[in-house]
Amino acid sequence: MPKMLMLTLALRNVFRNSRRTLLTVGLIACGLAALMFTDAMVRGMSQSMVRIATGTLLGQAQIHRAGFRRNNDVDLYITHSDHLLQLLHDDPAVAVAAPRVITGAMLASSENVAAAMVYGVDGAAEAQLGKLQQAMVAGDYLHAGNGSAEGQRQLLVGTGLARLLEVELGDRVVITVSQIQGGDLSQELFRVSGMFHFNDRMLDQNLAFITLPRGQRLLGMDTGVHEIALRLPAPPAFDWQRYNGDWRGQVLQTLSWEKLIPQLSGVLEMSNVSTLIVAGILFMLVALGLINSMFMSIYERQYEFGVLLALGTRPVQLFWQILYEGFFIGVLSALSGLVLGGLLTWWKAATGIDYGNLEMSGVTLQEPIFPMLHWAQFTWMPLSIVLMTLVASLYPAWHAARLQPTRAMRKTL
Amino acid sequence: MTTAPSQTEPQAQGDILFDIRGVGRYFGSGDIQVKALDDINLTIARGEFTAIVGPSGSGKSTLLQLMGGLDAPSVGDVHLNNKSIAHMSGRELSDFRRDHIGFIFQAYNLIPVLSAQENIEYIMLLQGVPAAQRRQRVQAMLNTVGLEGYADRRPAQLSGGQQQRVAVARAMVSRPSIILADEPTANLDSVTGSALLDMMKGLNESRSMTFVFSTHDPKIMERASRLIHLQDGRVVEDERRG
Repeated sequence: MPKMLMLTLALRNVFRNSRRTLLTVGLIACGLAALMFTDAMVRGMSQSMVRIATGTLLGQAQIHRAGFRRNNDVDLYITHSDHLLQLLHDDPAVAVAAPRVITGAMLASSENVAAAMVYGVDGAAEAQLGKLQQAMVAGDYLHAGNGSAEGQRQLLVGTGLARLLEVELGDRVVITVSQIQGGDLSQELFRVSGMFHFNDRMLDQNLAFITLPRGQRLLGMDTGVHEIALRLPAPPAFDWQRYNGDWRGQVLQTLSWEKLIPQLSGVLEMSNVSTLIVAGILFMLVALGLINSMFMSIYERQYEFGVLLALGTRPVQLFWQILYEGFFIGVLSALSGLVLGGLLTWWKAATGIDYGNLEMSGVTLQEPIFPMLHWAQFTWMPLSIVLMTLVASLYPAWHAARLQPTRAMRKTL
Repeated sequence: MTTAPSQTEPQAQGDILFDIRGVGRYFGSGDIQVKALDDINLTIARGEFTAIVGPSGSGKSTLLQLMGGLDAPSVGDVHLNNKSIAHMSGRELSDFRRDHIGFIFQAYNLIPVLSAQENIEYIMLLQGVPAAQRRQRVQAMLNTVGLEGYADRRPAQLSGGQQQRVAVARAMVSRPSIILADEPTANLDSVTGSALLDMMKGLNESRSMTFVFSTHDPKIMERASRLIHLQDGRVVEDERRG
């Protein structure tokens, strides 16, 4: 019965100074809304950055010959790649497997010379894996060519590289590379058949694409590839060990995007830490605000507490009364914050926030960031707020419970 | 009848409610020690209507605080029904106040967020009195203090006199051993104050309820069956009437 009495008293006391309660609830609710929105932004940004990073060219995983990635040694190519590609095509966990040969090259036009990475790719697979086809801004995308001279000379250059070489569509470009096994120089003539624009300065200035067979021929290899980029519909379902280790006399290495671009996964991990730090700071500010408000309320009612104690209220009952007040404020704040934060996040999740091609950790945010609603924002965050208000109420409650009736009632009796 | 200071003569031993033995309450220490009460020996019998009188600073309120278990004596002991209250723990003191003492304060001190009925009910709720019994006792008490129809009003919606009636009802409803009233008429006009005192005197006579007042009010002194005069923390006169 006294518990119900203390609950009733607490509830009514919460609304006793409605302006102060409203301000306190508003402060905590804004804190919760900010926390929810920050979390949603970090989630949305992480997802966008991963999608942009993996969806442009990288893929969600790549298979290489062990050691290739250390310095792009052209000699470290995957042999029997046709057989490996067949295995990958048959693997239900793999949606797309795009084979590539990759080499550093010198590109020379009639006007200029530039160094770039040349990718020999399977146009059809590449179109399914990344955004190369969508990034085309001029000319034609790579096609099989049916062995025609024109087909074999296809060359896609980034808009930045085209500017450096001062070339237009149809202009001739000579590509010079070091061949495998011996490093003999090999030169071939190409014509600029298309231009792409990934909206990423590094990619647009440093990449050129030719067809896979022509790339293999340029490097002096038969059917080998340096890299197989993979699109995985459900990465956890992929058997990461299956394409790792010894395979037909060579050592393969399968790496996830997190390992391929560790700087991005590092940034994402840091974002999570940042969210926790922001949450910690918000919680501390909110807790201090609440403690301040509770103490104001307690000091105002000190005499009344003295009366309650004089009437026979046990200190522990007074303690619970203050805790209940904190609890009610917490619940009100959590509900208000949920509505405020939920609406704000939901609105921005629908409209997005455009960062205008901001570059972060080597990833250009080419699309608006859409904050992501997540169950955690509607469960543990408001629960944490309620818990925090309870914890913040402990000290004021303890203070009230320790009051001496005669000191609390400074007047007579 | 007047007795020698600090040598009050108890009535029949079975009627003694409060037994105050050699009580002193000192504040500060050494040269700056102030003796708010010194060597108080008193007994209060059941059914008394006693007024503690004296000038400001004579120790009236301090004595009431010690009797009510709101403060502990520096020396001596206070017994209620032969049980010492001077060395009770905080929880024991809370329960003691809840079950044995009814307080009436000068400033009414009703709980502002509770209605008149809930204020009266408060102590019974702490005591765990069943709801039906609570309701019946509250209603009876509201009738006794003449506040039928005011049950749902909050203190702010009541006049000073009405609030003090609610305070009297709150003090009495739990049937305490004694009611300690500190200047209960100080904030009331003389008509309201007199009416309230008549009501309390009536309850004292009809129900043998024990009242101890701390007061300057001549109206209380007129009605008191016993006047204990305090001066500088000592009982200087203990006057019993008819």
